[in-house]
Amino acid sequence: MSNLEDDFKLDALLSQQQQTRLLELLGTLGGASVELADNAEEASNQLEFNLDTLGWLRTELPAIQSEAAARLFELILFYAGKYRLAANLHHDVTEASYIELQQKHAALLASEARYKTLSEQLQQQVEKQVKVIEQTQHQLYESARLRAVGQLAAGVAHEINTPIGFIGSNLRVADDYLDEIEASLSDNVDPALLLDDFRALLGESKSGVKRIASIVADLRTFANIDQADFATCDLNALLMTTCHLLQAEHNHTLPIELRLGELPKLAGYPAKLSQAFYNILDNAAKALNEGGRIQVESRLHDGALEVYIEDNGCGMSEDILLRVFEPFFTTRSVGAGSGLGLSVTRDILVAHQGEVRLYSRLGQGTRVTLRFQTG
Amino acid sequence: MANYYAIENKLVLKIVYYGPALSGKTTNLMQLHTLLMPQRKGELMVLETRDDRTLFFDMLPIGLRSEKGLDLRLKLYTVPGQVQHDSTRKAVLSRADGVIFIADSQLSQQDNNAIAFDNLASNLQKVGLDIENLPLVVQFNKRDLPSAVDETILQTRWATTPWAPITLASALKGHGVVKSFQQLLSRLYPAVDSEFSLAANHAIGFQTFVDRLSAVNEASDE
Repeated sequence: MSNLEDDFKLDALLSQQQQTRLLELLGTLGGASVELADNAEEASNQLEFNLDTLGWLRTELPAIQSEAAARLFELILFYAGKYRLAANLHHDVTEASYIELQQKHAALLASEARYKTLSEQLQQQVEKQVKVIEQTQHQLYESARLRAVGQLAAGVAHEINTPIGFIGSNLRVADDYLDEIEASLSDNVDPALLLDDFRALLGESKSGVKRIASIVADLRTFANIDQADFATCDLNALLMTTCHLLQAEHNHTLPIELRLGELPKLAGYPAKLSQAFYNILDNAAKALNEGGRIQVESRLHDGALEVYIEDNGCGMSEDILLRVFEPFFTTRSVGAGSGLGLSVTRDILVAHQGEVRLYSRLGQGTRVTLRFQTG
Repeated sequence: MANYYAIENKLVLKIVYYGPALSGKTTNLMQLHTLLMPQRKGELMVLETRDDRTLFFDMLPIGLRSEKGLDLRLKLYTVPGQVQHDSTRKAVLSRADGVIFIADSQLSQQDNNAIAFDNLASNLQKVGLDIENLPLVVQFNKRDLPSAVDETILQTRWATTPWAPITLASALKGHGVVKSFQQLLSRLYPAVDSEFSLAANHAIGFQTFVDRLSAVNEASDE
């Protein structure tokens, strides 16, 4: 590889023209012809470079001048050689550095490829992990939902208790009446009054039974006992059911105004949609201050089904508004809220090709728009 | 990696002076140029930058011609010691037949010595030479300086290496320079002899090799 150690021939140090010129100059200086010879002859002086004999200088000059001419020639060769050696070394070094650079470049490319693969694997792992987290989230939500259902059940139990109470008492009274009727048939008492009251009792009991039946029906819809699967849903009916259940939880004290427009049926998961409505209505109910109200409106607008749920409660600040859809983000105290309500609502809407929009002003209230595309 | 040219019956060996910056490699070579009187001695070629620091290398050719006609040449090179000239060091070091490592005796320079020696080891490996088998002499230069580390300490430190004993020198004063060179010659001879049969084919024995290549001027105090 290296030509640093090469021994030079005369032609490699001085070109032919330079040699001729040098000989001419020496000749002019000495006043006699000066020539190069390949072999040692009489009246010739050896030309040496780095211990190598490069040739002989033949002159017709006196010995001392002839010698001086040869040494001068050698001196010029020495400096030419110095340059040549340095240039060769420089060439070698540059070439070696370039090769090294190319190798480094190749190594860099290889490592880049390696990191690319690594980052792809990382991406896959992250995606996998995200799936696991999402799944866990849903499981958590599911358990939160079951807890909510439990609370609902408590409300419902209370709700059912009242009609059952009066139905029970009515039936006892009715039993007494039957005794009296039996007696009156012999005692000649006016039966008309008794019979009227008896019918009223039965009528009230029937209405109580109807109320229980309707609550149970609402609960069945809400808890999705009958309809796990895709079905044709009446959004208005689902909204009403959800409002009923919420009322049941709040002892019928919530000021909810329903303005439901005529809507076409929507294909979807009724239990999930009820869940979405419940989550938003529940938030609205919790946001209310004294004298507040909730307005629920539905309508067909631009070919989409729209449900507005608006409250004039406490509202939200902008930085909270930015985060409300984040899973597990909650402003409520620990245990009071899962932080999943709105994120699950959005998931449900997305599953129904819908979207959720939220407008809120701190201290003025919140308006939630649920929009479902039809067709 | 000696070169033998059969047509000319010429054998060229390469000796490289290696070591940290400013340890006295060029000074060693200049002193050799002054002190040595080998059978043949060429011009000392010094390629330096403006501030006397070696840029490419220095080179001194010496030689002898045996009775049987072998044209034996030794080319003594120095490398540039400054860190940034590593590529040049590697190029000069390639195909070396022997190395003289010039260390700086000053206490403050011991780290630089170690760094330069590691650099020598790694560059030898890069140019395909085995430091364990390469004739190598370690010279601690600048013995004349007051801060020079004590000789016993240095000898002890190097005693377990294949390069013991180390040689000591004050290159500026010309002390120890030829001795180091002779030590290198004596470590170089067996390797060259086994490859080129110096004794058998060319009638150059160990003593002839060392004496004739390192003959000194009578006036010198070596």
